[in-house]
Amino acid sequence: MIKPIYGLMAEFDNPTSLVNAARAAREKGYRRLDAYSPFPIEELTDALHLHHNKLPLIVLCGGILGGLTGFLLQYYITVIDFPINIGGRPLDSWPAYIIITFELTILFGAISAVLGLLGLCGLPMPYHPTFNVPRFALASRNRFFLCIEARDPLFDHDQTSAFLETLEPREVSEVAN
Amino acid sequence: MTAQSRDFAASAELASDLRQWRTRALTAGVIGAVLLLVGIFLVSPFQLYESYLWSYVFYVGVTLGCLVWLMLQYLTGGAWGVVIRRPAEAAARTLPLLALLFLPIVVGIPNLYQWSHANLVANDPVMQHKQIYLNVPFFLIRAALYLGGWNFLAWYFNRWSAREDEGSPVAHRKMAALAGPGILFWGFSITFMAVDWVLSLNPRWFSTIFGMLFMAGQGLSGMAFLITLLVLLSYRRPMSEILTPRHLHDLGKLLLCMVMVWAYFTFSQFLIIWAGNLPDEITWYVARLHGGWRYIALALVLGHFALPFALLLSRDLKRNFKLLAGIAIFILCMRYVDVYWLVAPDFSRGRFAVSWMDFVAPVALGGIWLWAFVTQLEKRPLMPLGEPNLEEALQHGRE
Amino acid sequence: MPDEPQVVEPPEPKQLIAPGYTFGSVTDQIATVVLTGRTPVFWLACFSVGLALLFLFLYAVALLLAKGVGIWGIRVPVMWGFAITNFVWWIGIGHAGTLISAILLLLNQRWRNSINRFAEAMTLFAVACAGMFPLLHLGRPWLFYWLFPYPNTMNVQPQFRSPLVWDVFAVSTYATVSFLFWFVGLLPDLATLRDRTLNRFARFAYGILAMGWRGSARHWSIYETASLLLAGLATPLVLSVHTVVSFDFTIAIVPGWHSTFFPPYFVAGAIYSGFAMVLALAIPLRAVYGLQGLITDKHLDNSAKVMLATGLIVAYAYILETFTAWYSGNVYEGAAIWNRMTGPYAPAYWMLISCNIILPQALWFKSIRSRPVLLFIWSMIVLTGMWLERYVIIVSSLAQDFLTSSWSIFVPTRWDWATYFGTIGLFLFLFFAFIRLLPMISIFEVRTLLPQAKVEEEVQG
Repeated sequence: MIKPIYGLMAEFDNPTSLVNAARAAREKGYRRLDAYSPFPIEELTDALHLHHNKLPLIVLCGGILGGLTGFLLQYYITVIDFPINIGGRPLDSWPAYIIITFELTILFGAISAVLGLLGLCGLPMPYHPTFNVPRFALASRNRFFLCIEARDPLFDHDQTSAFLETLEPREVSEVAN
Repeated sequence: MTAQSRDFAASAELASDLRQWRTRALTAGVIGAVLLLVGIFLVSPFQLYESYLWSYVFYVGVTLGCLVWLMLQYLTGGAWGVVIRRPAEAAARTLPLLALLFLPIVVGIPNLYQWSHANLVANDPVMQHKQIYLNVPFFLIRAALYLGGWNFLAWYFNRWSAREDEGSPVAHRKMAALAGPGILFWGFSITFMAVDWVLSLNPRWFSTIFGMLFMAGQGLSGMAFLITLLVLLSYRRPMSEILTPRHLHDLGKLLLCMVMVWAYFTFSQFLIIWAGNLPDEITWYVARLHGGWRYIALALVLGHFALPFALLLSRDLKRNFKLLAGIAIFILCMRYVDVYWLVAPDFSRGRFAVSWMDFVAPVALGGIWLWAFVTQLEKRPLMPLGEPNLEEALQHGRE
Repeated sequence: MPDEPQVVEPPEPKQLIAPGYTFGSVTDQIATVVLTGRTPVFWLACFSVGLALLFLFLYAVALLLAKGVGIWGIRVPVMWGFAITNFVWWIGIGHAGTLISAILLLLNQRWRNSINRFAEAMTLFAVACAGMFPLLHLGRPWLFYWLFPYPNTMNVQPQFRSPLVWDVFAVSTYATVSFLFWFVGLLPDLATLRDRTLNRFARFAYGILAMGWRGSARHWSIYETASLLLAGLATPLVLSVHTVVSFDFTIAIVPGWHSTFFPPYFVAGAIYSGFAMVLALAIPLRAVYGLQGLITDKHLDNSAKVMLATGLIVAYAYILETFTAWYSGNVYEGAAIWNRMTGPYAPAYWMLISCNIILPQALWFKSIRSRPVLLFIWSMIVLTGMWLERYVIIVSSLAQDFLTSSWSIFVPTRWDWATYFGTIGLFLFLFFAFIRLLPMISIFEVRTLLPQAKVEEEVQG
């Protein structure tokens, strides 16, 4: 019995090899795989079929919530809670409320964008198995990694390893769990 | 596929389409013009000049909007600029016709502008103060200056564009060099045009952002027109092989941007005047926010801003040719309404009155303008052959 | 890395990045500024100046808290003196950072990639400096929370028709969103620093801040969406902030303030001074740290062009302001502008016209735009001009208002100057601390500028 591992990781020199490798792995039927690169690669998003995420929806909801909060807050205070005549303006001075309504829309939208980003990425994450590979530190510098996870139904240590070798990586390494 | 291997001339199908559009436009224009002339007797000559003025201002807006996008793309670059070049150039070439169409306004000055009446000016200290600026000869000199300047820009950019097609190596640099000063001239001329032709209808009112409102409106009208035209052209060769959703997406973003700029300027002016509530200024809004005009204002908020804004946020929609063109046409209609709302309440003196001539005038003028535009569009290949970034623009969205 | 060429050639005039860079060498060059043990003398000198001025600021603030706002030159009728001038000036400077990071991202202008990071930092610190002034101007700054609506025993609430309350929301939103945007942009670079540093403490600190970022394709995809969304939110926000600042003036019906084009005019002026500050920071930085290959002459040229364009909008505003003052036929409007041009503030007015309109026309010429030293001088001229602009607008309109009997001249005291220069110290202090502790150029975005970052489609076969 082999000690359970997180997966197998192949290291590449350039983005083109990584994108090709990711495509090949998808074609081969692997689904639980992830690629690591020092900068965003648009083609990689296509290769791994990652297009849809819920972030725009989260931001939209946050923004609408912010706008409603802004407007209702002002309406409640100036019309119901603390009605006071200011220079003969009507109590419900909606043109004057637009500014703060707008600002709170943006504020809530931006906060939901950041929280949404962290939530969808599962960050902060103090521990992740990929960091057990010593050369993985280069993923934030100039190396490109493809990791096929052991959870994948097709994963087989020897076969997957052999497959990764066919992609002409610099190195294939085990990722300890 | 490379630029050299393509034929950018209008295909036979497109040529016949264009001929058809041209005939229809001219027919509509002539019928409209006849109806307007009949209107002089049926309604009143005043109504003719009023309807004519706001229609004219609208079409000047569409034309100059195209001209300014043409100049801007020389400064910013980008594939969107390459695909709009020929339609924008063709629109700019209608400026001599627009100069000619200014003549009815010259004739109509006494009907339109209070400051042209010596007896009214004599009894009004404000108009006396403004008389050095607002008088007929100086008004005409300024109009000649604006129209002359715009025509010069149109001529310059078209001449060098033609030379670029013939392979002139300096042409692109020449055009880029005048684009900055050209936009500067546009900014100033539009500001004073707005003051002269529209703001001075109400000789007591003033607003410093007024010129910028017209700039934003022209940019919006021009872009909406160009998008509509490109989508119409995209059904036939050669444009069916050239335009990609990426191009439309970029143009759609610019359209969204202009919708927001227009809303920003309009709201700024409204909020400042509403909050200040000074008798000099607020009367302008009182006239425009009461009676029937209130519904037009509401329609503008919804149709000129809220609806196009919400729709254009969608990425998929900006990449859908038909839907984007639908929004662009809708925005063009709202531009009519906006210009109308700016101009017409000054004539109606508190009443809400819409004449049938207000609908016929834009059709008449629009028919004639479109006829001139299509005639000009047919004259040159639909893509700039000598454009240095042509290849890149053709590849845009095909990678 | 011995397997990578280290030769970096000087960039061609039109390039955004010098040829010869690799993913490794850009990473190392930018990260070294932070990770090195050696600190350049230039940094020490600037940081010390900043620190010294910061102490001056602290002293001036302590005195202000002890004695009250009377130590400044504000007297009736000029109750908004230096403090509001400086507030508007600083917040305007901040705008270029958001413009570069957000608007240019939306417009897909890739030249922003190597200047957005420090421009965003500039925004944050400029907003921090700006925020000081209205706070201190409150008189009792410790009660600042009265500006926010909350249930309280006094049973009073903020007055939402007042632009000053809008300002509270606009500026605090702006500060928050700028910080979030900046931090999200930093995340991948913090991971790089975590992986590159040899110092245990630094690795721990950067590791905590990087939150476990590992460059996963899944994360990058969400990250890109988040950046675009934040840019989409920040763009209208940045316009709204200076718009709200302009409402502080326009909503009041003071002649010379109540003008409908103030919102776009203020925004243009803000971007104008902001780009001047970007140039004033970028030119010395790239010289000292040898970053000419990353912040190229093309960047300076583009920034100078933006300055020219926004400067022309400002020029348009002055011309239109004068024209409308006359055209309106309103006695007060006319007098306000006339007093500005010929009254006690005429020297400041004409100096601002020279600094903001006349001298910057030199930027039409490529020979000026291509000389960093001249550009640096020009950016200083513009920064001075834009400060004077706010000063003239605020002080001249207040000093000579409707009632001739209450006219009075504003005389700044030494504490006005001390507070102003003190915030410059605060800015330098924060900015140079940032340069030393965090990468001043976005490493991962510069990597995408390299030719080898492009995926070659032919290879897939």
